[in-house]
Amino acid sequence: MSCNPSFGGIGKGHLMREVDALDGLCSRICDQSGIHYKVLNRRKGPAVWGLRAQIDRKLYKQNMQKEILNTPLLTVQEGAVEDLILTEPEPEHTGKYRVSGVVLADGSKVYAESVVLTTGTFLRGMIVIGLEMHPAGRLGDQPAVGLAQTLEKLGFVVGRLKTGTPPRIAKESVNFSILNKQTPDNPSIPFSFINQTVWIKPEDQLPCYLTHTNPRVDEIVLENLHLNCHVKETTRGPRYCPSIESKVLRFPNRVHQVWLEPEGMDSDLIYPQGLSVTLPAELQEKMITCIRGLENAKMIQPGYGVQYDYMDPRQISPSLETHLVQRLFFAGQINGTTGYEEAAAQGVIAGINASLRVRHKPPFVISRTEGYIGVLIDDLTTLGTNEPYRMFTSRAEFRLSLRPDNADSRLTFRGYKEAGCVSQQRYERASWMKSSLEEGISMLKSIEFLSTKWKNLIPESSISSGKSLPLRALDVLKYEEVDMELLARAVPEPLKKYTQCRELAERLKIEATYESVLFHQQQEIKEVQRDEALQLPKDLDYLTLKDISLSYEVREKLHFSRPQTIGAASRIPGVTAAAIVNLLRFVKTTQQRQAAMNRVPKTDQQLHDTDRLEESQL
Amino acid sequence: MWRGLWTLVSRAARGPHSPRLCTRQGSGYRAPGSGATIFALSSGQGRCGIAVIRTSGPASGHALQSLTAPRDLPPARKACLRLLSDPRSGEPLDRALVLWFPGPQSFTGEDCAEFHVHGGPAVVSGVLQALGSVPGLRPAEAGEFTRRAFAHGKLSLTEVEGLADLIHAETEAQRRQALRQLDGELGDLCRGWAETLTKALAHVEAYIDFSEDDNLEEGVLDQADSEVRKLEVALGVHLRDARRGQRLRSGAHVVVAGPPNAGKSSLVNLLSRKPVSIVSPEPGTTRDVLETPVDLAGFPALLSDTAGLREGVGPVEQEGVRRAQKRLEQADLILAVLDASDLASPASCNFLDTVVIPAGARNPNGSRQRLLLVLNKSDLLPAGRSDLHPDLPSHLLLSCLTGEGLDGLLEALKKELAALCGDPSTGPLLTRSRHQHHLRGCLDALGQYKQAKDLALAAEALRVARGHLSHLTGGGGTEEILDIIFQDFCVGK
Repeated sequence: MSCNPSFGGIGKGHLMREVDALDGLCSRICDQSGIHYKVLNRRKGPAVWGLRAQIDRKLYKQNMQKEILNTPLLTVQEGAVEDLILTEPEPEHTGKYRVSGVVLADGSKVYAESVVLTTGTFLRGMIVIGLEMHPAGRLGDQPAVGLAQTLEKLGFVVGRLKTGTPPRIAKESVNFSILNKQTPDNPSIPFSFINQTVWIKPEDQLPCYLTHTNPRVDEIVLENLHLNCHVKETTRGPRYCPSIESKVLRFPNRVHQVWLEPEGMDSDLIYPQGLSVTLPAELQEKMITCIRGLENAKMIQPGYGVQYDYMDPRQISPSLETHLVQRLFFAGQINGTTGYEEAAAQGVIAGINASLRVRHKPPFVISRTEGYIGVLIDDLTTLGTNEPYRMFTSRAEFRLSLRPDNADSRLTFRGYKEAGCVSQQRYERASWMKSSLEEGISMLKSIEFLSTKWKNLIPESSISSGKSLPLRALDVLKYEEVDMELLARAVPEPLKKYTQCRELAERLKIEATYESVLFHQQQEIKEVQRDEALQLPKDLDYLTLKDISLSYEVREKLHFSRPQTIGAASRIPGVTAAAIVNLLRFVKTTQQRQAAMNRVPKTDQQLHDTDRLEESQL
Repeated sequence: MWRGLWTLVSRAARGPHSPRLCTRQGSGYRAPGSGATIFALSSGQGRCGIAVIRTSGPASGHALQSLTAPRDLPPARKACLRLLSDPRSGEPLDRALVLWFPGPQSFTGEDCAEFHVHGGPAVVSGVLQALGSVPGLRPAEAGEFTRRAFAHGKLSLTEVEGLADLIHAETEAQRRQALRQLDGELGDLCRGWAETLTKALAHVEAYIDFSEDDNLEEGVLDQADSEVRKLEVALGVHLRDARRGQRLRSGAHVVVAGPPNAGKSSLVNLLSRKPVSIVSPEPGTTRDVLETPVDLAGFPALLSDTAGLREGVGPVEQEGVRRAQKRLEQADLILAVLDASDLASPASCNFLDTVVIPAGARNPNGSRQRLLLVLNKSDLLPAGRSDLHPDLPSHLLLSCLTGEGLDGLLEALKKELAALCGDPSTGPLLTRSRHQHHLRGCLDALGQYKQAKDLALAAEALRVARGHLSHLTGGGGTEEILDIIFQDFCVGK
């Protein structure tokens, strides 16, 4: 955790749940290391709840290292990677080279069947404070220059992005007593599906505090723009999470929030979220002290900006393997994203696929109809990005289906069967939950009374008793003020048993809330999935392909992004409907070829599985 | 994705006669990947005896039953005669042959229905609109039937090769139609609505994604609410304005006007091929507005005969003149009739000055009143005289008595009506039914938005509403919404 001391948030919490559903680590570690758990967007509907927590940096590091170092069959070696070891490509796959290991800074070699690069902000990283620039991946760490040069020489299209981090403030120098205090949720909602609770009780957790900027802050920023080269540069930074300088410049005469967040249980540091700044250090201190509550604040470490290389993500496939170098996978900021959660989401997919690739198994790809992870990777690989990409719930077109509460039923089974990345314990828990939910929903559908009777049974509900219509228990559960507890009190037999597990009761309520809309969404999802099922041959050379009528512009776009499915191709801007149909011909020929190769026994089993899964989704 | 692929591969490999698939045939059959049910006019262009309207998708059976209610589904692949009526109003539409093709043994591999209706534009448009009102049905996108057939392994490779051209042609046609329809007032309206909605949605999305992190302006949601309310009213008014939608169903309003005794009634009778109006040599014979539906050069039209325009007559005739003038204001097309042998008379001059000349001028919203000037009684003119009046606007010569000049008039009428109603082939019918479908869908979704307590549901309703509008106006991705968010708000982590 090299920037903010927190995990999750709106949209990001969804990613956390999905990473966890695939047995990724960060969610479980956060349940052991958090110091302030709070779900955002509580009042806006469970589809957009944002699970979030302040995390103790030290604890997170300890717990993560313990977990990693105790993972069987895993060797951990620390060292800076300077170069890649490349060999001849495998003829049956596309790509000019194949990676077979890495060269470390000390010249030693580590051989590998596949390699995942997660370079963060280190590729030709440059730290900026005021007018000073230093080569560094982050404060105190050397950048990776050799590796960046290698990638560029191989022919990767490289871009440059920037981000920033706020100064750190001494905790004892802040006057919290005059600020708004924010207390954590009670009870805490864990990130992981396999945890019922987090490691710490709500009353033992730490609060956060809220303060605001003021016109004096604006003045200091505006008077010193000439001392601030990070802000003036044309390198693209995020439009969200902007530095205080860009906030002042873009929205003058406004007051902005500053959250004072603890960095750890026994840490002396406060992280002032919202104050990311690249002014010279002494001006940063001056700016901080004109903020309410920070009048006597002591700056321990200045804020700074980071500029770094990223590889245009249209050069990777949805399995995160690069088009250019076989068995080389990219994940995280190297693909132009920002945030721990976005990085973790790519990390788990890259890891799974690096392993599947070695075992000659088909890649594990999540569609945008299945998860935020799918939305993230599809956006990156088909559209690319020119600013640090962050997840929002508004990026997901099937937001009502892709909820934090149901990530396990969307992904855990696929992870278990196709990727082998899910533990038995998690698989069983998810299976139990899934069958309980199905049973509960059909039970709720089967109980039907007249609305007048429901009104008598649950007087506190807003059911209209004017017209007497038959209502299913599931419809009653849709009312905002009705939950499983109330419903089970009204109809104890057979509903009581569904209230014994809190998670189950809450999930039934959520399923009821969205039931009517989900039916329609399911139809749309199927239409998208139909196009996703039509795979484009990977070895298609779009630039020289004859017997196909495609404009040069379309050819270039397809050549660069190498979409894997008709669905992905149709989302590339500038690829026309007619071009799509021409592509369909190739899908058809490939399918016939593949069909001839994969005769009945295997496909029948696959087909069977698919149908079962699809039925249960409805 | 892989699972989906294998499904398709195995299906294609085993062909449509796999025994396992056949056991699932019949109503309600749902192939994996099938979604909404689509409909379209699938017979050829132009006016024809029979038009074929097709549906494909899981709700086809339901659609067939809805339009032929309360009858059961006909036996599979057997033509049956049924009375079609609008499921909302019960209004009869046509007596038609219907066919039921349960999937997978159908053109697309899905459940399909076919309606063989009489080929008039009014009937076709009525049936398309009725289908659009059945839940789960939407107008097909360009090439969508063929795409579905392809997806279900119903097309051979050679057939697919023609598909790109077809889709290209269809999208081009649809684009041109959309452009034509979106040209002018209606287009501006639609674009305005889409902008309003995009902004409202962006604000709701900003509230969902950012409000807890940073300080959005107070009342972002209230603002969105009030925008949506205004939009709802505007859409409602537009949809209730039956005129636009009905021009093709009930016909364009063609008003025959002119000074007394110019031969208006004779022209009406000639065009309608029946004695609608009493004809006499006496000026002022027609005193009220007489309407008759006619087929003019292949277009449905409502032909109105009006009282001759003159002043200083008795109260009954004056009322007739008043009604005639009112009707003129509502006309889609004016057939201005003058007596060719009497052009210099005060009545003729007055008519030219007050009706014909002003019609040629642009009104404030930039359009012109459509008008055809017909000089009747050409048989009374000395032979070879074509330079009647040097200042006369462009005109047509006609003799209602001999029928001379009628072909020329019909040709001119066809041109005017084509411009008014659009091409009578698939174009306007489809675009109109699409238009109505999407506007109604948008309005319904806005209703859902108001009811939704859960903000994610509310935003979903707005997304659906916006999806409908962007079908009409094009454009509108997530990036557009994010652009508005970042332009309007300063949002932090």
